[in-house]
Amino acid sequence: MKALLKNRSYDYIIFIALFLLILPLGHLLGVISVNTISLWGRYFCFTIAAIGLDMLWGYTGILCMCQALFFCMGGYGIAMHMLLSASGEGTYGKAIPDFMVWNQVTELPFFWEPFHYFPLALICALIVPGLFAGVFGYFIFRSRLKGVYFAIITQALALAMWLIFLRNETMLGGTNGLTDFKQLAGLDLTAASTKLLLYITSCLVLIGVYIGSKKLVNSKFGKVLVAIRDSESRIRYTSYEIKNYQVTIFVIAAVIAAIGGILYVPQTGIITPGRMDVKASIEMIIWVALGGRGKLKGAVFGTLLVNFLYSIFTSALPGSWLYVIGILFIVTVLYLDQGVIGLPQQIKTYFAKRKSAKL
Amino acid sequence: MVKRKTVLYIRLLLALLPLITCATNDGDIRLLMSPDKATKSDAFSRLLAAKQVATFPVLNAINSKKLFAYNGQLVSIGEKNSTADQVTYDVFLLFPEIKTLTDKNNTPLKVPLSALQPIKFSRKERLSLIPLLPYINLTSTDKDLRKLAYTQFQNTPKLEDISILEAASAKETDTELMRFAAETIATVKLLNATTPEAQIAQIRRLEANKGDNTVFLLNSYLENTTPLTPNVQKRTREAITNLNDRATRIDWIQNLFSGLSLGSILILIALGLSIIYGLAGVINMAHGEFMMIGAYTTFCVQELFKISNGGALSDAFFWLSIPIAFLVSGTFGLVIERLIIRKLYGSPLQSLLATWGVSLVFIQLARTIFGDLTSVKAPALLSGGWHVAPQLVLPYNRIFIIIITTVMIILTFLFLYKSRLGLRIRAVTQNRNMSACLGISTKKIDAMTFFIGSGIAGIAGCCMTLIGNIVPDMGQTYIVDSFLVVVTGGVGNLFGTIVAGLGIGQFTKILEPIFHAVYGKVIILGIIIFFLQFKPRGLFPPKGRIADD
Repeated sequence: MKALLKNRSYDYIIFIALFLLILPLGHLLGVISVNTISLWGRYFCFTIAAIGLDMLWGYTGILCMCQALFFCMGGYGIAMHMLLSASGEGTYGKAIPDFMVWNQVTELPFFWEPFHYFPLALICALIVPGLFAGVFGYFIFRSRLKGVYFAIITQALALAMWLIFLRNETMLGGTNGLTDFKQLAGLDLTAASTKLLLYITSCLVLIGVYIGSKKLVNSKFGKVLVAIRDSESRIRYTSYEIKNYQVTIFVIAAVIAAIGGILYVPQTGIITPGRMDVKASIEMIIWVALGGRGKLKGAVFGTLLVNFLYSIFTSALPGSWLYVIGILFIVTVLYLDQGVIGLPQQIKTYFAKRKSAKL
Repeated sequence: MVKRKTVLYIRLLLALLPLITCATNDGDIRLLMSPDKATKSDAFSRLLAAKQVATFPVLNAINSKKLFAYNGQLVSIGEKNSTADQVTYDVFLLFPEIKTLTDKNNTPLKVPLSALQPIKFSRKERLSLIPLLPYINLTSTDKDLRKLAYTQFQNTPKLEDISILEAASAKETDTELMRFAAETIATVKLLNATTPEAQIAQIRRLEANKGDNTVFLLNSYLENTTPLTPNVQKRTREAITNLNDRATRIDWIQNLFSGLSLGSILILIALGLSIIYGLAGVINMAHGEFMMIGAYTTFCVQELFKISNGGALSDAFFWLSIPIAFLVSGTFGLVIERLIIRKLYGSPLQSLLATWGVSLVFIQLARTIFGDLTSVKAPALLSGGWHVAPQLVLPYNRIFIIIITTVMIILTFLFLYKSRLGLRIRAVTQNRNMSACLGISTKKIDAMTFFIGSGIAGIAGCCMTLIGNIVPDMGQTYIVDSFLVVVTGGVGNLFGTIVAGLGIGQFTKILEPIFHAVYGKVIILGIIIFFLQFKPRGLFPPKGRIADD
């Protein structure tokens, strides 16, 4: 704290004070409802995924259009665990989740087995997206696909995976997704105290991921990433194996997204393929772009801002949200290249330029 | 009035001429119009007993309570025509042939119900028609009922029905039902045949006829008829195998054809994308929405036609809407280029995001204006299909899409390679700065290209109304696939776009029946990624210095 004060990092202090002190305290005093707490908890999960995307896009220059896919993979992992831990308590009292009973499935599919145990489920929920990203990324980066090509291929991947998750025979709940969770690690998910706990956990994990990512981008590894973004061929000529860096950061971003997903699902109580369609991934990009890409702070701020706006607009003016987000996309790209975080700097340069022009 | 009456009398005489041959029926038919109840019933029961095909339309009309006397003839009513002041019906003659009554200009007579004198039969009499229903339905005006009637004869094959079936099939005009009738007659004969020679002859006929049910009928014949000579069994099996092989081949042809039509749509969308990316380095995510605008333009043209024609709709609206869709979508493209995309030339990722925003706004705008689901009535000329061979029908709308794609490809090539403007577009694509130095107004070229690219997408949208509903997010369904086409073909390369579009379309349709459509899509993506391992810049990568940024 002293270090923060010393560096005049007021934004960090405001963040911690607001979300770790005022909001929980407000809830305990009965001023702020548990729904608001839970809502912000979910925003933190999105923010975690956005940090991963920012490292990928803002720092390495790889526009990934399937970040929501990894987010959902983590989410599905924890959702499977929660369903299994409550199996036997469902409407049918069977040892398998209810939706399988509807689909006339009598035995648990093999890939559900590891999700019986909480630690193993957590590990799986992180490793599966990581591994997936690793294999996919290896083949993509090996053939030196980048820029638009990479964006389009990842978008096609998001579309294909979304279609697969929509199917019933993949045993992941189809269109309805996974829902009706009862408990997580022995905690009742409907209880307000659990929601508060999940909120604080999300906030702390967000801070942890932020600090970790900050360390990473400030390390030598992070400098190479920025160099790849700025001039890929030069880095290649200086005999860096670019592919390894790209695959590594792709995997890291995927795992970070999965962390967000793992924390997200217990708080919403449902995960459906709708969370991972093409639109969802692109929306994550606008969070980062609006906040300011290439700055981790920007990703955090942008995500919280857009989601906050989303909840305001959908309740106040339903039907207007697509206009708002569409115009946000356009305005951000056209006028806010540095994002909202970079706005003061942008204004300063603008006036400086005008001044020098006048002289 | 006098003149009209004479004409009618002459017509009546003409109509009566063939009746001499079946004079007894004719007498009974005329007696149905008799005012005396007993005479009428007697005539009715004699007609029932006679079971003559020529009288079935009359019996059918009795069954559906639509028998009328009109100018001394037995008629029934067809299509209803409602105008503001009165309701009239098309009237058709029932005996000796079903024939729509026309006036002297050969336009169908429109008769109000009041001019028709209904001939009523008791419920009991109508109920006595029920055992005869399969017979009288053979001459029904409803195609499905006729088909059903023939099916009933396939299930209860009696030799004595043959003459009726043959008489009915002689009157049949529809090719599909003619095949159905031939199949039924052959089946009835086959199931009643006793000598191996007669059986084989009928199996041959069934095989040559290639009916829809033939395989099923032959299979059940093989199973249920016990004393069959080995020769007949062998022949039946051969016939089944041949017909099954043929069905497989037809499935393949149909798959290839739908692959071709899917590929055409992808090409139509990807064509504009590819030109624009090649020229300006802009990824236009809103391209699918220009297609959507084209579709809604078609819908609007249809509605305008309806309003100006007082509810009626002619085919002309669709042909007219093709150029209008081109202009409207092109104009939207031009506006978007001026307002937004102009500032993003050369930065594909930024343009990707901004145009995604544009597409969201367009989708919501369409939803606000038009609601969630609308559709266009396809022109009559394009409904139905081309019956190439039995069971092989190629829908006209798909053929039309393939034709229009071919035309657009040829026009685009001619435009790019034979016109001055095309030459300039190619010059700017190759080297923007040098072209500007040589006096080409690159801004004008950009705007023009955007107009044309978006316009082609508009035509694609116009075509899409033929095969599906219009929904606000219809563009999103195809945009990802179209981008894959562009990437696979080599960005900015027209020829590559065409080859990749056809390839992806064909692959999708070939994989679909083997796997499910979803897994087919995943496999295609896998194939594309695998392919890009060897050709990371697509099928036809740009050569030389522009190859590297």
